Amino acid sequence: MANAVPAAEPPGSDLRTPHAWALWAIVVAGLGIIAGTLVLTLASDQLGTQGLRSLLVGWIVIPYVVGGILAWWRRPTSRLGPLMLATGFATALAPLQWVEQPTVYSIGHLFDMLPAALFLHVFLAFPTGTLTWLPERIVVIACYAAVTGLQVTKIILGVTPGSRIAVFTNVEAANRVEVIQLTLVAGLLLVGAGLLFWRRRASRSSQLRPTALLVDAFGLALVMLALLYVAGTQGWPAFETIRLVTFAALGLAPIAFLFALLDARLARGDVAGLLVELRAHPTEDLQPPLARALRDPSLTLAYWLPEQGSWADQNGQPMSAPHADDRRALRIISREDEPMAALLFDRSLTDEPELLDAVDAAAGIALENARLQAELRARLQELQGSRARVLEAGQRERQRLERNLHDGAQQRLVALSLELGLLGQSSNDPNTRTGLARAKAEVATSLAELRDVACGIYPAVLTNHGLAIALESLAGAAAVPVRLDVDLPARLPQAAEVAAYYVVSESLTNAGKHARASVVDVQVSRTDDTALVVIADDGVGGADPARGSGLRGLMDRVEALGGQLRISTSADGSRIEAEIPCQTRR
Amino acid sequence: MSNPPLTVGIAEDSLLLREGLGRILSDAGLSLVASYDNADDLLACVRGRSLDIAILDIRLPPSHTDEGIRAALHIRQHHPNVAVLVLSQYVEVGLALQLLADSAERVGYLLKDRISDVQDFTDAVRRVARGGSAIDPTIISALLQRRRHDDPLARLTPRERQVIALMATGTSNQGIANNLVITLRATEKYVSSIFDKLGIPSTRDESRRVLAVLLYLRS
Repeated sequence: MANAVPAAEPPGSDLRTPHAWALWAIVVAGLGIIAGTLVLTLASDQLGTQGLRSLLVGWIVIPYVVGGILAWWRRPTSRLGPLMLATGFATALAPLQWVEQPTVYSIGHLFDMLPAALFLHVFLAFPTGTLTWLPERIVVIACYAAVTGLQVTKIILGVTPGSRIAVFTNVEAANRVEVIQLTLVAGLLLVGAGLLFWRRRASRSSQLRPTALLVDAFGLALVMLALLYVAGTQGWPAFETIRLVTFAALGLAPIAFLFALLDARLARGDVAGLLVELRAHPTEDLQPPLARALRDPSLTLAYWLPEQGSWADQNGQPMSAPHADDRRALRIISREDEPMAALLFDRSLTDEPELLDAVDAAAGIALENARLQAELRARLQELQGSRARVLEAGQRERQRLERNLHDGAQQRLVALSLELGLLGQSSNDPNTRTGLARAKAEVATSLAELRDVACGIYPAVLTNHGLAIALESLAGAAAVPVRLDVDLPARLPQAAEVAAYYVVSESLTNAGKHARASVVDVQVSRTDDTALVVIADDGVGGADPARGSGLRGLMDRVEALGGQLRISTSADGSRIEAEIPCQTRR
Repeated sequence: MSNPPLTVGIAEDSLLLREGLGRILSDAGLSLVASYDNADDLLACVRGRSLDIAILDIRLPPSHTDEGIRAALHIRQHHPNVAVLVLSQYVEVGLALQLLADSAERVGYLLKDRISDVQDFTDAVRRVARGGSAIDPTIISALLQRRRHDDPLARLTPRERQVIALMATGTSNQGIANNLVITLRATEKYVSSIFDKLGIPSTRDESRRVLAVLLYLRS
């Protein structure tokens, strides 16, 4: 069963952290590109429109490069940083088309559409930087194919006659390829946006996290980009306006990403709160404070019980081994190579490893305590279960004995008695008749004694006819008048029935013997999962479990089923209340 | 006697008892129509033939729990003209009350041992078949034993206690007189005195007074 321990997450030290010089080089390159773009724009003939365009390019390049650097630095595990940097720099290639020099111009044109595929890739790969879902991979690959393959095709056909790689001058065919390309890319972007929203809906819990804001920003950007391409093919007059809005949305996306980073830092403030909270109010249930600190209401906590070789919740109730899936991630918290607890949380939290580390450190001792508690509870439950099983086995054995008596000795004695009766009828000799009558009386006495023994072993009436009838018989045989009120729509589980029967039986005996009661009220009722038995008399009281073994035995019996027996006694009488759980256990 | 013999059907799974019962009833001049080892066959017989009385064991196959009592209740409900006599190793007050429900007519509930008192038993069978009742004395004595605070039963004379015990089992006034070796008139006097002391509305109907006394003792 020990194989239920899933492998822990790989520790962070194994991962490549970018060298500081690499990051600085990127910063320098980014500054260079922005400067270059400005120079190119100023050198251009059409300064008005190009100036605006260069501003827009800067608006996109700067946040992607800055966001990419931060992401790479803070989240070396994620490929998102490099991907964002690639997007920023690819976007920066676009102004090359404004240069009159044919080679530079040709390169600028070749990479004109690449950012579209990179945007799609970044948004779908957030937050891990990898595409895990097959539909996402297909859409992204198709988009790359459209922005490279079709781009080369249309340039070869001569869509921009000045290009170095233009072979033909079939402008009509080239334009047709361009329409196909733009429509296809627009379609793929919309599909991508659809996938984003579908994923967001599927993981309802992530809606509760601020990262949901990101998904909305990404979706908006993809839809706008698609709209821009459609507007381009249709020659809509609003093209320039759409372009502005699209660039604005595309530039917003990395800003939202930066907010998410900031949110993780804010959340770390909650961890300090967690420490204070755990110290001030040591609690048994760590799940709510942890969920608050990690801002994930769906968080589940499981404790490892090494002796049982299984996982359990804080109450020691066994639970299935926690495992990660496409929505939830798993973190095993270990002490001295032994797993202690497992945290199952929303996958978006994997993006904030420092937060998890901090929580792990803050909750360490509290978790250890909670695990010990859970282990203790699990053992207690096991003990209670075995107590109930022992009781049940005893009951079954008694039932079997009673049945043997009924079908064996009792049946034979009745037959013998009948035989004696028939002999007595047919005999005319008075001596014989007297002798037979005496023998018959002996048999009758034996039968009566046997009946008492059998009934003492097991009340067959209970199993055969149910609690209501059995209690009616108890009431009928009681030494004190009994007011019976049994409200049971259906039979109780057998163990509960037997316990309830003995509670009433023993209480009535007590009331008859010690209490000098004039009347005893017996009430039996049931809620969904509990049977309630109340016996109240108007005697002198004196029901005390410490005095006789009877009440103590009843307590054992009821507690073995996980129930409770309460005895209260006063000058006005005694009251015995038993709560007996009725759900079938194990 | 010009009356045709009473017809009887039996469901009892012990072969010894089934045969013994059959012999006793036949010897007593009753007509044994059918005897089975299970309740279903007897129920089929009740539906198909005209039986005067069905005699059943409580524990019958297949489960040996309450098949007999269920069959008895079914006959009481759906075939009111067929009398029912239930036999058992134990008698339970609860079952007696369930069996009687709202009428003590044509119903009996006796310990199996009672069969061996052949004469009393066949009398009881006849009484039940003809519309009377037969409740096992064990049930009555259990109910009578109860101590009560401010108990009207305590005001009964020992003789009256004997009379009420017999009365509650379904015994007729004549039967009580014979049993206690007193005159019929004396019996009647005891009966009305008992009703007076307990405050039960007097009735001459022997079945009805069985139910009245039982309910009184039980309350």
